[in-house]
Amino acid sequence: MLSRAAESLYWMARYLERAENTARLINATQQLLLDLPEGASFGWESLTRIVGLGKLFQQSYARPDEANVVEFLMASPRNPGSIQSCIRFARENCRTMRDVLPRDLWERVNSLFLASKRYSQPGITRPERRRMLEELIRDRQTVAGVLATCMSHDVAWEFIGLGEHIERADMTTRILDIQSAILIRHQSGSPALALFWVGVLNSLSALQMFRRHSPGAGAGDNSITGVAVLHYLIHDPHFPRSVVYCLDAIESHLAELPHNTAPLRALREARRRADRASTADLGRARRHDFLDEIQGDLAFIHDAIAREYFHLHERETALVLAAQV
Amino acid sequence: MRFGTEDYRPEGVFDELVGSDGTPRPAARAVCDYLAGLDAGEMRQRRQAIDAAIATMGISFTTYDDGQNIDRAWPFDPIPRVMPASQWHRIDAGLRQRLTALNLFIDDLYNAQRIVRDGVFPAELLAGSRNFRRACQGISPRFGVWAHICGTDLVRDRDGTVYVLEDNLRVPSGVSYMLENRMLMKSVFPELFSANAILPVDGYAAALHEMLVALSPRQEERPVIVLLTPGIFNSAYFEHSYLAQQTGAQLVQGSDLLVGSDDVVYMKTIAGLRRVDVIYRRIDDDFLDPDVFREDSLMGVPGLMRAWAAGTVAIANAPGAGVADDKVVYTYVPKIIKYYLGEDPILPNVPSWQCHDEQERDYVLANLDKLVVKPANESGGYGLLIGPRATPEEREACAARVRADPRGWMAQPMLMLSTAPTICGESIAPRHLDMRPFVLQSKGLYVTTGGLTRVAMRAGSLVVNSSQGGGSKDTWIVEDTN
Repeated sequence: MLSRAAESLYWMARYLERAENTARLINATQQLLLDLPEGASFGWESLTRIVGLGKLFQQSYARPDEANVVEFLMASPRNPGSIQSCIRFARENCRTMRDVLPRDLWERVNSLFLASKRYSQPGITRPERRRMLEELIRDRQTVAGVLATCMSHDVAWEFIGLGEHIERADMTTRILDIQSAILIRHQSGSPALALFWVGVLNSLSALQMFRRHSPGAGAGDNSITGVAVLHYLIHDPHFPRSVVYCLDAIESHLAELPHNTAPLRALREARRRADRASTADLGRARRHDFLDEIQGDLAFIHDAIAREYFHLHERETALVLAAQV
Repeated sequence: MRFGTEDYRPEGVFDELVGSDGTPRPAARAVCDYLAGLDAGEMRQRRQAIDAAIATMGISFTTYDDGQNIDRAWPFDPIPRVMPASQWHRIDAGLRQRLTALNLFIDDLYNAQRIVRDGVFPAELLAGSRNFRRACQGISPRFGVWAHICGTDLVRDRDGTVYVLEDNLRVPSGVSYMLENRMLMKSVFPELFSANAILPVDGYAAALHEMLVALSPRQEERPVIVLLTPGIFNSAYFEHSYLAQQTGAQLVQGSDLLVGSDDVVYMKTIAGLRRVDVIYRRIDDDFLDPDVFREDSLMGVPGLMRAWAAGTVAIANAPGAGVADDKVVYTYVPKIIKYYLGEDPILPNVPSWQCHDEQERDYVLANLDKLVVKPANESGGYGLLIGPRATPEEREACAARVRADPRGWMAQPMLMLSTAPTICGESIAPRHLDMRPFVLQSKGLYVTTGGLTRVAMRAGSLVVNSSQGGGSKDTWIVEDTN
């Protein structure tokens, strides 16, 4: 498989996954605001920080209010991570790869793109926005369905899987990190905080599975604690949006590829760190740093993949061309 | 809409399906009867089935002026163009003869130039040829073949004579549409195929693969074959990806390849550099290698010519093959055939006037209103003047271009291209068409059975190029019944 092709497929998958999770992030935040008790505060700007684009946002907008932050995350062409930009990039990558991708995929990705054009309309109300984002998530699920059921699980598919799971693990940690952005006077255990964690689980379509499978989930809302949710969304080996599940998926995709020593090493390093950390011991202040570290580990895995598969030839090219001088 | 041949009359030209008396030609009788038996509703249903099949098969064609949505659906007419096998066999033999001679000619031009020394082909014409590549001199590719894939355009005039209009020896396109058209017809009109002895066309992909394999400089290994495309913005990108899939070639862009200090071409893969043996290139000579041709080319591969000259990689078509794809060289093809093969040409050329000859030029300039004037080196119908249909200003502008660069132009009488019944909205009307068979040559020769029939979809139009809004039909070579 050509390096260019592998890279295009990998990024196509990452962009699709990022678009979906950015939608989930916005919906989770909106939900959270409705449940926020008296005396608690939340800064919209922190969302831009959570997705790692705080500086770009500050450069682009004067006021960090809801309208600006949401426009930045959904529609801004200046933000390469905005949902609209992500879908545009995914579509470009998909288009160049039409010869290896199932035919339906292009049509589905194209209709995602057409729908995302509406995000830049002025005056979108909150309910409309919510509907648009839910629709995007649903359509994105259809794309995932086409990939899962209509594409050979060949090398091309492995690269799509790598992109999808690296991005998903990363975005799960970012959605968990919303907790660092709220300030509540009463500490954990308050009903408001439990509602917040329900919101996080809901935004990742995880509430039902959490209730069924998490040892920390009881009958009442009060029993949903940050510790239990963090534990579930990081360590649960069976829920497809948990960090550990994604790491396992990355490992099995890598196992099918040649020259996988370095990427696998980076993967196992990330896995060890995730396993070592006991979420119960993490105070709220430490949680943010821990989530940051996971994001750093995922970036290392990405670098190792890029070096090995997308730019492997650069090393060899240097050798081949060096002899000419 | 209903097709009854009693309503359909060829308009003073040769019609491929219907004789001048309004009765179907023998080879087309079954099709005509079948079409006449469909009522308006059935016909509309089939038309819709075809449109749906085109959409799902994702056949598309790209035009440059279409703005953002660069993929356009391929215009297809479901009424086939039918030719009896006995007629086709003569054309097939003519094409084999023509391509054998043309390849001998190209190989000679880049080596001994016997034909020039013997005074058959003028040296000054060679000197003025834009497609003669000095970088190719002294090279003799495997089997002495330069033009491995050729699309030769054939037209039929009023009296039924089939002429060669031009040979496309650089990067001819259209073969994927020939194959897809047949697939469409089989899926929408399966009953026609059981009622007629229609010769199959689907051997092409295998023949192409075999032809490319034979070119590999490493015959002992399973060759790595790539199809080099300029990318998704090229009008023929659909065909590039289609042929790559059909032949198992890797679809690559220039940036995917590099040439090492060992003069070997490599492609950049996830497992490192992989040696490439055969390049089926779909980009023009000019853009092939920025070290040798246009420096600003981003789609080419620096060092590619060096590797090719060293013989580590085969390129199809070979760089420089376009020297014979020149409308002035074209006028010499009958002499070229005679010179190399000692035979008379089986397929005639359209009579032509060469503007570099003073007398012929004067004739052309005096008769611009009767002639078709063509640039020597362009393809796709660009720069063409159809004299009888041009305005006086257009003719004057053309005359100025001819005077400024006589070598760059030639002229032909305006042929009345043959027609075939074509669905136009709610009725069936005659539309002009041509035919592009494809010829493959390396170790052996292969000619497609029939070819791509291109049809001018506008009434009276003679321009069939897909880049100028033409459509296409399935082409049937039918076994003669008696």
